[in-house]
Amino acid sequence: MKKKLISVLLGAVMAASLLTGCGGGKDTQKSDGGSEGGKKEVVIWDYFETDAQKKMIEDMITDFNSKQDEFEASHVYVPFSDYEKQLTLGMASGELPDLVILDGCGMASFIEMDLFGDVSDAKINWDEYIPGPMESTMADGKHYGIPFATNCTALFYNKDMFDAAGLAYPDENTTWDQFREMAKTLTKDGVTGFGNAATGTDEGTFQCLQWLYTAGGDYLNVKDGIDAYTLMQEMVAEGSWSKDSVNWTQSDGNNNFMAGNLAMQQNGPWQIPGITKDAPELNYGVTVLPKRDENAEQATSILGGENMGVVKKDDMSGAIAFMEYYDQTEVMVKAMKEYGSFPPKTEAAQDPYWLDDPIYSMFVKQLDTSIPRGPSASWPEYSNVIQKGFQEAMTSAKTPDKVAEDTQEAVDAVTDSIK
Amino acid sequence: MKKKGSNIKLFIIGLIVFIIFIFPLYWMLVTALKTQVEIFQIPTPLWPKDLTFDAFAAQLSVSGKTLQGFKNSLIIACGSTIIATVLAIPAAYGLARFRFSGRKVLILYFLMTQMLPSTLLLTSLYIMFSKAGLLNTYWAPILADATLGIPFSIIILRTYFLSIPKELDEAARIDGCSSVTSFTKVIFPIAKPGVIVAAVFSFVYAWGDLIYGITFITDPNMRPITSSIYDYVQQYQTLWNSTMAFGIVAIFPVVLIFIFMQKYIVSGLTNGAVKA
Amino acid sequence: MKKKNSPALGRVGLLFALPAVLYMMIFVVYPMFQNFILSFKNVDVYTFANPAKQEAVGFANYIELFTGKDGILGKAIINTLIFTVVSIFFQFFIGFGLALLFSKKFRGSAFFRGVTMISWLLPVTVAGLLFKFMFASKGGIVNQLFMSLHLIDQPLEWLLEPGLAMTAIVVANIWIGIPFNMMLLITGLTTIPEEIYESSRLDGASKIQTLFQITIPMIKPAIMSVLTLGFVYTFKVFDLVWVMTKGGPINATELVSTYAYQLSFEQFQFSKGAAAANILFLILFAVGIFYIKLINDEEEVM
Repeated sequence: MKKKLISVLLGAVMAASLLTGCGGGKDTQKSDGGSEGGKKEVVIWDYFETDAQKKMIEDMITDFNSKQDEFEASHVYVPFSDYEKQLTLGMASGELPDLVILDGCGMASFIEMDLFGDVSDAKINWDEYIPGPMESTMADGKHYGIPFATNCTALFYNKDMFDAAGLAYPDENTTWDQFREMAKTLTKDGVTGFGNAATGTDEGTFQCLQWLYTAGGDYLNVKDGIDAYTLMQEMVAEGSWSKDSVNWTQSDGNNNFMAGNLAMQQNGPWQIPGITKDAPELNYGVTVLPKRDENAEQATSILGGENMGVVKKDDMSGAIAFMEYYDQTEVMVKAMKEYGSFPPKTEAAQDPYWLDDPIYSMFVKQLDTSIPRGPSASWPEYSNVIQKGFQEAMTSAKTPDKVAEDTQEAVDAVTDSIK
Repeated sequence: MKKKGSNIKLFIIGLIVFIIFIFPLYWMLVTALKTQVEIFQIPTPLWPKDLTFDAFAAQLSVSGKTLQGFKNSLIIACGSTIIATVLAIPAAYGLARFRFSGRKVLILYFLMTQMLPSTLLLTSLYIMFSKAGLLNTYWAPILADATLGIPFSIIILRTYFLSIPKELDEAARIDGCSSVTSFTKVIFPIAKPGVIVAAVFSFVYAWGDLIYGITFITDPNMRPITSSIYDYVQQYQTLWNSTMAFGIVAIFPVVLIFIFMQKYIVSGLTNGAVKA
Repeated sequence: MKKKNSPALGRVGLLFALPAVLYMMIFVVYPMFQNFILSFKNVDVYTFANPAKQEAVGFANYIELFTGKDGILGKAIINTLIFTVVSIFFQFFIGFGLALLFSKKFRGSAFFRGVTMISWLLPVTVAGLLFKFMFASKGGIVNQLFMSLHLIDQPLEWLLEPGLAMTAIVVANIWIGIPFNMMLLITGLTTIPEEIYESSRLDGASKIQTLFQITIPMIKPAIMSVLTLGFVYTFKVFDLVWVMTKGGPINATELVSTYAYQLSFEQFQFSKGAAAANILFLILFAVGIFYIKLINDEEEVM
């Protein structure tokens, strides 16, 4: 009945649009999983948006297609901001690709929602991967894919401003107290000492969470990291940590760093091409994030980057083949050079391309003490309540004690709701 | 005919309103003409020191893509405007001119159908279009965008029809016209400005739609122009100058249509169509 | 006026409306209905893939949204009401003033009117970014202008202070919404025959008298629909706020629509998201009923 109605309506509409010569859809529906010249299709979804990233995936696909005759890979771009929504809709309707490249911290949720298939039997050198990223592709000891790219945030500093103030550059021995002094000294003439991205989304959590970990807490034990709230609140109150951070995304922070409004920023390696292009004369350096105190280990950073997940289907051979192709160190290294991120294999990250570069090598160093967010299928909820805590601390909406107490309570509530 | 003094006063008031209103648009243009670094300088210059057309050039350099986007948007917007207008005119007329039980329920019904943001209806529509095999065709956004225009057009046209004196179609009916002919011959021509306004609004809704176009169509060659915004508002950075240039380029065709259509609306205004 | 429509003629009216009714039934009411069902289940990230675990939970989602530990729906509703009422108030009065102004003929009126429409034609995402950018506390042009006019000494933290953040999104929304009000009211004004104005002038009525005794009563249906539609459209605003503040800082600008979106597509709490959406719907439905009641009076006028 309903179908009939729809078809009648569609017929009417089609007639109307033909009459006026306007409209008229191109009915070029892609046949699903159909074979093209005997090859099996492998459709990959990604959110690669810059020209370099697009070239990277296209080169890789061309190479993959030329090296074997069984599969024909292709990729579809879905904008980052709509990515998880599109995946959710795909799951609800069954319109899914074979392989998904997605933000690492979202993977746990999608594993829980049964998007990905168990690929533990694939011929992958599982042990060669950096443990943190690998962990984010797994659940209950089973593998659902491999890490694709990995990165973390570190400390960017404007060398000219340090020179002008007669300050020594920050390095791996810089402590929170020293960092705070630097930021305070550098805050003058419209310049703010430090800023990061503390917007109310997971992008903010990604940058703020490391302060909690470095202070001794973790995402389930917020109270142990109370010093992070105190530091943020006091530095924002002093004006040496930009209050605007609360609304900044990572690009906002970087734009202000490039424009000379920030002396230091927390940010990731993906900003480097932009700085080179838009502010070629900017004299800056990068080092690891400041540590808690002299006796502490190197500061923690939070892992970012993408994973490759194999969509659960009866026939996952194509996706697995592509994953095995990417597992080769030289493929991975080549792709990551173009992509502007780091390969998730320990060995691959030791390539001189990164180690010999004064800036990239610092990120490799920072990666040593980087941990993933969660992993938890409820990460978005945790992220939400944790980020609210950072915002409350920065805007002085509550005292650090109260922030820690309330955030701990909210985190516990999320844990309880998982049952 | 009119007093000169009041004309000048009106002109000045108009000018002030115009300046306040135009400022964000001016700022958009200025931002589009600055470099990414100059945009963030403090204090930021009111006119770019370092005038650059790069952001606009970027739109043109992908002109193939921009043109294709315009074409896609045009197909989608025309399609849904036709559906919306063809369905809304009779419905509005029926609801304005005839008394039947359930009439008010229907008005409420149409009002109700636009109460949820598109994002929250997306899932069901997606599944529906997936089953009908309409994903990745222009039909999916056309059909979905029409749902924005239909209720709006009905509500607006209904009040428009109400404002047209009833005596007109009663007279027509006395002259022996059926309901349909009194509608097509008498009311419709008078209501033309209202119909044009409703159609233009439907068109603008569909043109401005991003979420349906980008969700139902994954083929980059079929996506509407609005989806290009993701070339500039990226995961890790927003290219402010390009975003603003994009905004200016993307609305250019709609502004042209609007200016063109305004003549009709104004002609309705000056002719005093209702005098008839 | 005598009501002389026969029942048979009345049914013709229903037939006129039927195609549109069916169309909306398929493409809007059905999805809404699905949403309604979903809101009484427990579909979230843990039960999504496992229909066996999905069960009816009655009003549990609704209760939790209002009373739960991090349930901020109450706050979101209040925010939405403030956002809507303040936006509508300014949009309507400025829009009405402009409509009166631009329905007069003076040199350049068509041009001014045309330019005023641009703000409404702009994709909302672009408009939102533009205002986010203008309201930035550092380097934002709003602060820069206010300071150079000595209205403020210190840059205001527009998008950071809860109250100011709300002001900023309301200002942006007003800017977008004024042309909508203006255009619809101008369309209403065109239906008033010039003779009526002339005769009122001959009677010696002042401009104010003409406005209140002739113009406003004559376009009352248009005013009613502009206000109702404006309410509906403002109450469900999503993109603008999502782009400007994402509901922050600390939920200060969280609207029901952004909250529902966040629940459904960021936290994968599909049933709760659906419940929040239904609350949004219920409030608007009440406004719709109110509109229908008002139409009663209008019938007597017409």
